[in-house]
Amino acid sequence: MFEVFKPGLETSVQELPGRIGYWEQGFPPSGPADAWSFRLANLLVGNSRDMAALECQFIGPTLRFGRDGLIALTGADMRAMLDDAPVPLWTTVPVHTGQVLSLGAAKFGARTYIAFDGGIDTPVVLGSRATFHMAGVGGVGGYALKAGQTIPLGAAPAPASLRQVKPEARPEIAASGPRSVECMLGPNDDWLDAEAIETFFSAGWSVQAKSNRTGMRLTGPAFTFSDKARRKRPEHGADPSNILDHGYPLGTINLAGQTPIILIQDAPSTGGFINPFTVPSAALWKLGQVRPGEVLRFRRVEMGEANDMRRALDAVCTDASLERRLTAS
Amino acid sequence: MLPFIAVIHDISYILHGHFSSLSAGAYTMIYDTPRFFPGGDRYIEVELGDEMGFELNFRVHSLSAAIRQSGIAGLIELIPEMASLQVSYDPDRISYDDMISEIASLAAAHGGSADAELDSRLYYVPVLYFDPWTTECVADYRAKVADKTPDPELLCEQNHLEGRRELVRRHSGTEYWVAALGFWPGLCSLMPLNPAHQLIAPKYNPPRTWTPKGTIGLGGAITCIYPDQTPGGYQIFARTPMPIWDREQRLPAFREDLALFRAGDRVRFIPIDREEWDYIDAQVAAGTYQHPCVSYQKFSLGKYRSWLADSTAAGGADV
Repeated sequence: MFEVFKPGLETSVQELPGRIGYWEQGFPPSGPADAWSFRLANLLVGNSRDMAALECQFIGPTLRFGRDGLIALTGADMRAMLDDAPVPLWTTVPVHTGQVLSLGAAKFGARTYIAFDGGIDTPVVLGSRATFHMAGVGGVGGYALKAGQTIPLGAAPAPASLRQVKPEARPEIAASGPRSVECMLGPNDDWLDAEAIETFFSAGWSVQAKSNRTGMRLTGPAFTFSDKARRKRPEHGADPSNILDHGYPLGTINLAGQTPIILIQDAPSTGGFINPFTVPSAALWKLGQVRPGEVLRFRRVEMGEANDMRRALDAVCTDASLERRLTAS
Repeated sequence: MLPFIAVIHDISYILHGHFSSLSAGAYTMIYDTPRFFPGGDRYIEVELGDEMGFELNFRVHSLSAAIRQSGIAGLIELIPEMASLQVSYDPDRISYDDMISEIASLAAAHGGSADAELDSRLYYVPVLYFDPWTTECVADYRAKVADKTPDPELLCEQNHLEGRRELVRRHSGTEYWVAALGFWPGLCSLMPLNPAHQLIAPKYNPPRTWTPKGTIGLGGAITCIYPDQTPGGYQIFARTPMPIWDREQRLPAFREDLALFRAGDRVRFIPIDREEWDYIDAQVAAGTYQHPCVSYQKFSLGKYRSWLADSTAAGGADV
């Protein structure tokens, strides 16, 4: 187990594949926003890659360990310290009972993952430990970590060796300049006109401060609509972006009036706005590391490329991406 | 504000047309074959028509049931909605093209034939109309946000009803079909099965920042029950003491699940008084409340159509 001294900013327990099978009742899948970093953290401590671990957002927690074990930090650099020593990212780190791990604010990127050997052992709710804190489901009593809590850990597997992630297998957390995000047409691109589609893929989209695990709002040029949106049956709603309530895919660009919102892990399951574009699954991790104020540029990809990207990422999230640690921490 | 909060009022439809013209099936917009739209590499939107109506929604649920029974390898889950369903699939097990051809052949085999039947539980939902909590909530909104017509009066006005008693009669005098769930865990969209009891309402603008848990709301042509205290945009006029969502899973109805309803269930609102409210509320607090539910029925599309034809001919009978 470990104790929570400071919770950080909505630090939550997450797990893969998330809460599956209850979306039709309105429960989103949840799970880590950057699954690439999440999986590498688990692999570094000898866990299977999908086990429950912590997701820290923008400001990390301070924790005290209740047993000896291994941890690994991946994702954004939150200047982590283990007692008085800096903790390297992308590396297995042995910890001892009583030691204190403290994280600060993210220097770049948005989310840091902390994996513990044996995984986090909070109760499974509707098939998953993933936290959906807006409705109080999963995680630690339904919510993000709070100061004073004791979080149970699973039994540590056989001691893993100390390893690090090969440099070429690490996601690029910091964006230098506009971040390029792959994006596909659909499901509702035919509600926009050709010019709006062209503009979407050529403009820079700035991420608003109103962004969290449900989604991120973007600011950019205005959208123009096709006849399908303007001459529709009245039950779709009055605004061109309104449609009869329908399902919302993860990663979709949901258009509410003139505000595009990229929907991520904790987004609403359904609603009455169109989804003209969708970020394919292999690029979702990028959205987990985006900071407010950053500029996104969407690069159009087709199904074939999205499939290739997904297979490539799947291959990177394996032990083959780890190597024996070359330097002592 | 968080995007979630900012978006939540848009659960309501704004209806300008007269819904009754659609309800008897006189004018329908149901496609001959489903239309498929990819949502990234893991999701497919399957659109079965372009209207809001019971027949189309029934087809959505028939097809959903057929997809589930078919056991297509690589199928992950479904979100049935008003006129469409969202399919989640594992593209490493089945390709987009193969998945849509599987679904197209199931749709061809499970059209809107009259012998279609679906399992359908019937829940009796006790309701205190014009309760003190929604009354207070409306008063709070009128004082702080916008001085709108109070919701019960607005509903009477918009639907040409004589007064609150007629509103209760109209609203509680029909069974409702759970057409879809979503946006918030357990939040249900209910369609009246008797079109003579159809009510319509505009939505709040701007939306409410809070709605009491268990509030009954009406927006567009849809009734909803708010599972928890959340923002909202529907006109509100009643409240149920019966939980439809329980994250602590205390009551027997929530042993297997946190949300009460599944799409394809039915709901009947039972008007209660304050004394009955207090009785039920105490049972809920004690953890002994048993949700009134009939779970041995199937819903037959053919029988519903005959009943609808008869009752329409008779000038709109009660259910």
